[in-house]
Amino acid sequence: MRSPDTAVAHRAPIQQLLAKELREIASGRALWIMLLILCPLVGYSFFQAVSLYGEASGAAVDSPVLGSGLSPLDGVLVPTFGGLYLAATLLFPFVAIRTLGGEKESGALALLVQLPYRVPTLIAAKMAAISAAWVAAVICAASALPIWLALGGHLYLPETLNLVFGHVLYGVLIGAIALFSASISESAATAAIITLAFTIGSWVLDFALAGQPGALGWISQLSLTQTLRPFEQGLLPAGLLLGILAAFSGFAALAAVWLHPGVLVGTKCIRSLACLAIAAAVIGLSTQVRLSVDLAEDGHNSFPAADQRALAELHEPLIVTVHLAAEDPRYVDLRRNVLAKLERTMPNVSIRLATSGQSMVGSTSEEAYGEVEYSYGGHSDKSRSTSHREILPLIYALAGRAIPEPIAGADYPGYPLVANGSPALAWFFGGLPLVIGLAWWWSRRPPQIAAHLIKNGGHA
Amino acid sequence: MTASSAPAPVLMQVEGLGKRYGDERALSDISFAVHAGEVLGLIGPNGAGKTTLMEAIAGVLAPDAGHILWRGTPLPLPRRREFLFYLPDGVRPWEEQYVARVTEFFAAVYGRPDSVVAETIRSLGLASVLRKRIADLSKGYGRRLLLALALLTPHPLVMMDEPFDGFDLRQTRDIMGVLREVAASGRTLVLAIHQLGDAARVCDRFVLLANGRVRGAGTMAELRTQTGNQAAGLEDIFLALT
Repeated sequence: MRSPDTAVAHRAPIQQLLAKELREIASGRALWIMLLILCPLVGYSFFQAVSLYGEASGAAVDSPVLGSGLSPLDGVLVPTFGGLYLAATLLFPFVAIRTLGGEKESGALALLVQLPYRVPTLIAAKMAAISAAWVAAVICAASALPIWLALGGHLYLPETLNLVFGHVLYGVLIGAIALFSASISESAATAAIITLAFTIGSWVLDFALAGQPGALGWISQLSLTQTLRPFEQGLLPAGLLLGILAAFSGFAALAAVWLHPGVLVGTKCIRSLACLAIAAAVIGLSTQVRLSVDLAEDGHNSFPAADQRALAELHEPLIVTVHLAAEDPRYVDLRRNVLAKLERTMPNVSIRLATSGQSMVGSTSEEAYGEVEYSYGGHSDKSRSTSHREILPLIYALAGRAIPEPIAGADYPGYPLVANGSPALAWFFGGLPLVIGLAWWWSRRPPQIAAHLIKNGGHA
Repeated sequence: MTASSAPAPVLMQVEGLGKRYGDERALSDISFAVHAGEVLGLIGPNGAGKTTLMEAIAGVLAPDAGHILWRGTPLPLPRRREFLFYLPDGVRPWEEQYVARVTEFFAAVYGRPDSVVAETIRSLGLASVLRKRIADLSKGYGRRLLLALALLTPHPLVMMDEPFDGFDLRQTRDIMGVLREVAASGRTLVLAIHQLGDAARVCDRFVLLANGRVRGAGTMAELRTQTGNQAAGLEDIFLALT
C-alpha cells in the first residue's frame, strides 16, 4: 500500500482527458448553433452555385469549346464551401474559445492544472476537441458533395479533397488562435474580441494592403484568408502548409505558455518571445519554399501538357528580371499566368523584381519599365507580354529547343451540367438540421449509473 | 479535538511566503508547518489572505517570495500537484456535465477503484444527483461534489478552501465527520475556514491569519498558553492575537 506522504506518481490516461474535452465542447450550445447556422449558409450557397452553373452550362452543352471552361471546382465547390469559410471566420471562434474560456470563468482551471497531465497535453487535448468540432462542421458542408453527384455532377477527387483539406486547415488554425486568445483573457468575451481581431483584421489586410509594395505587401500576406486561396485554385503548396503548421504550433505553444496561472507574467513573456521567434523563423523559411502541386483537373495552374514536359527538361537556371512594380496589374497577370507556373514546372527558376521596394509612381516613367528579361544558358531576351503563348516560345528559343507539339486528347473537356438544385434545399433546410438536432439531443442524454455506485444509499 | 501525545512528523513546511498585488501586500513572510495526518485550520476573516496562501502553496498562483519544503526537501512548483491537491472555493466546474461523468473522470484520471468511488459517493450523499447536471445542483450539492472530487484524489495532503460553505448545521456536522474519517485514514487536511466555531470543532491545530500575516499557530492548548488565558475559546484567542 502507498505511504500516505509520498508523491502521486500516476500516469493518467490521455483518452479520459480527450473524452472529457469532447464532452465539454459537445455539451455547449455554441457548437450546435454554429452547425445549425451553417446549414442555410452552405445550402443556399450550393443551390445558387448549381443554378448559376446550370445557366452557364445551358449554352455550353452543345459546344465543347464553351464547355471546357466549366469546372465544378470553380463553379460549384468553391462557392459552396464559401459558407463554411464564413462560419470558420465569424462563428467557430466562439465554439473554440469555450473549451478554455468556460473553465477560466467557472474556476475549473484551478482544478484542471492540478490534474496529472502536462500543460502541453492539456492544450493538445483541447486542440483535438476543437479540431473534431470543426471536422463535424466540414462534414455538414461536405454533405453537398453527394447531392452534387446525385444531380449528375462531376467531382475530381484530388482537387475536391484538396479543397476540403484547405478548409480543415483554415478552421483548425482559427481554433488555435481562439485557444490562445482564451488563454490570455480573463473572460470569453475578451477572447472573442481578440480572435475576431485576427479573423476580421485579415479582411482589412486583404482590402487595404494587398498589392502594396514593400513591407505593406508582405504584411498583407499574413492575412488568414490567404491560406485558403491556393486550395481554392486546386493547388497544394508545400510552403503554405509549412507556414500554417508553424502558425498553428506557435499559437498552441503560446496557449500552453499562458494557460497555467501559477507562472509569473514575466516568465510567460520570455517564453512567449521564444515561441514567437521560432514560429517567425519557420514562417519566414516557409515563404522561401516554392514547391506546390497542381491538383486541379483543368490544369489551370499549369501550362499545356506538352509544354510542361518540355520545360521540365530544361535544367539550367532560368533568371527572370521583371521591370514592374509589385502592385502593377500587369505583374499580377504575369505572376499568375507565367511566373508561378514556371516555378512549379522548371527545376531552377530565379525571379527578381528590378523595381523592388518602389511603387508604380515614379517607376512608370523609366524606359525599361514594363520589360521582362529572360536569361537562360548564357542567352537573354526581353518581352512585355504576360501571356505564356508569347513567353514560352521565347524561352524555347533561348534554350535552343523546338516548340513542342500539342498532345492530342490532353485538353480539359469541361463538365457542363444543367441541374435543379432544389433537392439540396430540402436537405440543408430540413434533413440536416434534423440530424443535427438529434445529435444534440443524443449528446445531452444522462449517463447510465453503475448499480454499485448507488446501492448503499445516497445520503451522508 | 484529537491532539496526539507524540507530535507527528512535519509533512510540509511553508517558509517566508509573500505575495503582493501592486502596492497591496496580500501575504507577508508566511511560515508554518503541517504535520502528517492532522487537520490544520487556516483561520482568519474574509480578506485575511487564506485563499491567496492556499493558491500560492498549491502553485496555482505565483508567489513573490518563499518556498515549500516537503519532508525537508524543497518542493518546486511543477511537482506540487504530485503531493498536494487544492480545492478552491466558489467554483462550479464543468456546469454542463453530469455529476456522474465528472466523478468518473476524476476517478479514471487518478486510477481510483470502484470501491473508493462508491464509498466517496455514499459518504457525501451524492447518489441521488448523479444523473443531474452540475448547473442544476443546489449550492450544498455543488459543494458536496467538489469535496467528492478532492477526496477522489490520492494525494497525501488536501487543502480545502471554505469546505463548509453552503451547508446547514446538520450537513456541516456530517461533512466534518467525513473529513475526520479521511484524516484518520492517514491523509492530511488543511482547511481554510472563516467560521471559528466550525474550525474549533474539526481542526487539530490552527494557523491564525490577519492582514496577510501569521498571528499565531498551534493547538488550542498552545494558543491558550500564548494568550495567557486557559479558558479562552478560539474566538477569544483570535481577538487577542490579531
